[in-house]
Amino acid sequence: MSYQDATATLDLETREAIDIDRSKGDFTFPERNKFDAGRGLTDKTVDYICDVKNDPDWVREFRHKALKVFRDKPMPTNWATKDLENIDFDVIRYYLSDGEKPKRSWADVPADVLETFERLGIPQQERAFLAGVEAQFDSEAAYSNVKEELTKQGVIFCNSTEGLKEHEAIFRPWFGKVIPTGDNKFSALNSAVFSGGSFIYIPKGVKLKQPLQAYFRINSENFGQFERTLIIADEGSEVMYMEGCTAPKFETATLHSAVVELVALKGAKIQYVTVQNWSSNVFNLVTKRGLAMEDAEVRWIDCNIGSRLTMKYPGVIMKGERARGEVISIALANTGQHQDTGAKMIHAANNTTSNVVSKSISVGEGRSTYRGQVFIPKHLKGCRNNTECDALLINSNSRTDTYPAITVKGNRHATQHEASVSQVSEDMLFYMQQRGLNQGQAMSLAVNGFINDLVREFPMEYSVELKRLIDLEMEGSVG
Amino acid sequence: MSLHIQDLHATLEDGTEILKGVTLDIPQGEVHAIMGPNGSGKSTLSKVIAGNEGYVVTAGTVTLDGAEIFGMSTDERSRAGIFLAFQYPSEVPGVSNANFIRAALQARLPKGVDIDAVAYYKNLYAKMDLLEMDRKFTARAVNEGFSGGEKKRNEILQMMMLEPKYCILDETDSGLDIDALKIVAKGVNAMRSPERGMLLITHYQRLLDYIKPDHVHVMAEGRIVRSGGPELAHELEKYGYDFLKEAAFA
Amino acid sequence: MTTTAPQTPAIFPAWFAARQHEAWERYLATPAPKRGDETWRFSNLKQLDFAGFVRGADVSPTQAADLISRSSGLENTVAKFVFVNDELAHSESKLPKGVICLPLAEALVSHSDLVAAHFMQQETRLGSAKFAALHEASVSNGLFIHIGDNVEIEGTIEVHHWISGSNVLIFPHTLVVTGKNSKVRVIDIFRSADDISPGVAIAFNDLSAGPNSQLDYVAIQAFNEVTRVIQINETSTARDSSAKGFVLNTGASWARNESLSRLEGAGSRSDMLSVSVPAREQEYDQRTFQHHVSEGAYSDLLYKNSLYDNSKTIFSGLIFVDRNAHHTDAYQTCRNLLMSDTCEANSMPGLEINADQVKCSHGSTSSQIHDEEIFYLRARGIDPVSARQLIARGFSVQVVERLGDDATEELILQFIDDKFAHIDTTDP
Repeated sequence: MSYQDATATLDLETREAIDIDRSKGDFTFPERNKFDAGRGLTDKTVDYICDVKNDPDWVREFRHKALKVFRDKPMPTNWATKDLENIDFDVIRYYLSDGEKPKRSWADVPADVLETFERLGIPQQERAFLAGVEAQFDSEAAYSNVKEELTKQGVIFCNSTEGLKEHEAIFRPWFGKVIPTGDNKFSALNSAVFSGGSFIYIPKGVKLKQPLQAYFRINSENFGQFERTLIIADEGSEVMYMEGCTAPKFETATLHSAVVELVALKGAKIQYVTVQNWSSNVFNLVTKRGLAMEDAEVRWIDCNIGSRLTMKYPGVIMKGERARGEVISIALANTGQHQDTGAKMIHAANNTTSNVVSKSISVGEGRSTYRGQVFIPKHLKGCRNNTECDALLINSNSRTDTYPAITVKGNRHATQHEASVSQVSEDMLFYMQQRGLNQGQAMSLAVNGFINDLVREFPMEYSVELKRLIDLEMEGSVG
Repeated sequence: MSLHIQDLHATLEDGTEILKGVTLDIPQGEVHAIMGPNGSGKSTLSKVIAGNEGYVVTAGTVTLDGAEIFGMSTDERSRAGIFLAFQYPSEVPGVSNANFIRAALQARLPKGVDIDAVAYYKNLYAKMDLLEMDRKFTARAVNEGFSGGEKKRNEILQMMMLEPKYCILDETDSGLDIDALKIVAKGVNAMRSPERGMLLITHYQRLLDYIKPDHVHVMAEGRIVRSGGPELAHELEKYGYDFLKEAAFA
Repeated sequence: MTTTAPQTPAIFPAWFAARQHEAWERYLATPAPKRGDETWRFSNLKQLDFAGFVRGADVSPTQAADLISRSSGLENTVAKFVFVNDELAHSESKLPKGVICLPLAEALVSHSDLVAAHFMQQETRLGSAKFAALHEASVSNGLFIHIGDNVEIEGTIEVHHWISGSNVLIFPHTLVVTGKNSKVRVIDIFRSADDISPGVAIAFNDLSAGPNSQLDYVAIQAFNEVTRVIQINETSTARDSSAKGFVLNTGASWARNESLSRLEGAGSRSDMLSVSVPAREQEYDQRTFQHHVSEGAYSDLLYKNSLYDNSKTIFSGLIFVDRNAHHTDAYQTCRNLLMSDTCEANSMPGLEINADQVKCSHGSTSSQIHDEEIFYLRARGIDPVSARQLIARGFSVQVVERLGDDATEELILQFIDDKFAHIDTTDP
């Protein structure tokens, strides 16, 4: 039996355990924040966050410098959508927490927060197939735990605050090095007000069999979530990290602006899986980049569903010989949504290889955009890039754009880029409907067929969830 | 109990009339064949019955065991028991045959009831064996990269799996070599039953050597111009369609 | 030159003087391209400083005669024009009735309304709006071709544009309008009188294909390697028409090509073709736009660059499908053949699709000649240098062949071969 058939049977068994859908995420609990930085962003906001978190001086300095960079940098509307101008930085709340430390046991997590994550299925998933979980509620982690045997092997999995304080010797040399503060306006914003996110260190030669997972939950209106994740995989180690995100549907816009830095040292392998299911008023402006040293591999496996605007271009800097970088991305843009995603592949050593496969689906009045950058400098040899981007349009009001940029210097390299746009044709729909499927089912099947080869790249538990999310989106969009 | 077509008129979206009053009754247990030259409206008839939105019904009715079907969507008609084997089956990229047929079967079950996977595969493999199809076929995407013969066999397989009340086979013989035709005919003949009505649409008499019809109709310029027994097909083979056209206007 | 308003000759019609005046104001008001402009991404903006270049340098009669004799192209032409520094030096024509083919300076006087109806009607949107305005304000000559309904021209109209003298600036202009069911082919050939005098050309060609007509246009840019060029092409296609545009770049130190096709009629087709063979320090900067306005139209772009030495290319192409342009077929391919380890190829193929039932794809590749290919030729007794040249030539020929006219293809290949002859190909 093929893999597909296996997932189809597993669907029934695992459905309970991994039941996350849009409607499931659409609930909220009353706020009971002990610490609230208030609205708007000034030097005082930054100091407030530093004080609450009891940041060391070097972090305070880092944040203030970043705030200046954020203020000085213009919005990138010379190439990006003007919708960015609708973000009102003065009404956003930059830090909210109940002042509790992350708990090691779900039993110690406050009842409303526990209920939130239970409704999202996190504790069940942890029992089923995860090596460790961190669950963030607004600005801070409410729960953080990793299997004991991993701790014994020296694996560190905690939030960024704990990382920079308890593990400064490992944390600090890489922090802000893969993505400098000034990389873009939103990386600067994150650097000024970051809170939460994961710090992970995998010691030499340790290969995690089960994934680590983080879950990011926005509970409060007008809140800005700015988690900061740093993953360091030491020589020859392997880790898969998965993140999920949801927010309830508020009347007003919410901002999520994360920075994620990955460091894969010699021969290490990091896979970073995202299944994002934001409600459609979230601005999701995320900077993600990995550094791959000699023989190392960084893979971004990314699924973007929901949000008002997502701008996300995961990248890999291949700094060591034979390093590999990969971005596998699925984006679904429904009415009122703009998925502006892509990939950056920077080849900085000989015989490095990168691969980008992006598939986008535009439904109703949704818009998807692919932006890519591939750079192969002079005096290198044997670098290869392959980029494929395919777009599926479901309705005449939807829109898709593709803007890759490929620079190759020297003749000892090979790059290729292909893109296509297609539709679910009337003939195909009629054919499927003649077999008894209604329009929504037929659309879902066509869409799942379109992304099927990429869905297989996700861990099985996630691929099932992903198909269900897409079914939900499609059912709501037809008829 | 029958699939009954009464004085059916249909046009293209631009108003061109293709069906100009077709009346036909296909009772359960019978196999009917419609023959006719290209452009006579045979394929249109099958698409209109299935509910293709490219055509506008301007007059007439089609009833399925007494129930009017024009208020029903394509998929509702399918679930009510009408099956169309397409002349040009569509490709569905990325969706495997096994999942596609399973989804179609699932659509026929009440909410909350799931298909028994083991029984499903057992049934599927048995039907595939009958049609001499390779097991690898289940994992291939629907019709993608299929030869003409494979596509037609796949249509028959779907028909056998969905067990419709009425089957319409649109030019299922076109593009088949004799061996493939025999296999397809074997599948169709296995489906013949006192509870099932069939309509074969074909340009050539050849198919009818392998699937013996109870009645043969000739269609020309949007109407049934003659009906008779199996011998009518042989007459057509002998004299060609021109003689019938004359008969139509005689 | 670029700081004082050009004077429109009094003989030209008032509308034209007004357009030139307005264009000059627009030129002054339009900011120069700057870093961060998407339409100039990867571009070398230093190339845009044209200070010190002047127009209308005098040409001696002997010099003119020399250039006329060097204006070789096709063996047979149906009409031939030679411009030196934008002045008409020679013309000959066997064109039939129903065709207006005149120097722009003449046509502006004799066919003022017709020129007014077609002169620079599209908005320049690929980045060079400022230079298009400068061109419009400054243009004083060029060629105006109007093919009447149902007139099919067998043969080719050939136009030579020379730059003669040092620090000379020219504004070549070619305007071709085809009527219903007509057919024409036009070739522009751009060259410098010598190899050492720097020049600047800001050229414009405007092609308007009428219903069911066939318009083929070829530009051969073979200036010396101390000359800079901005070449703007704008094509529009009416119902069922076919426009083919081909650009060959072998010359210039820096060339910017902007090519825009507007598919305005159902059933129309635009083929956008280009071959470039940059070597040494040459830089070619190509921007293209396939704008599907009408439904049911077809566009196909194929650009091929063979890069030698320290040369650099930029290809930025966009397929843009308007909201109602359903059933569009649009294709875009850019292929870079990297012939040295110090060349640089940038590709930015783009798609913006707003309509339904479209078939669009783009592809771009950058690679070197594969060892197996060389090996295959060597196994047939061909030395590696010749083998590489043969393969590189074949790479270009695939585009040239799309023109479907033997004589034109031969002429283009002569220029390509001449370029190959001036490239040091010994270093693999």
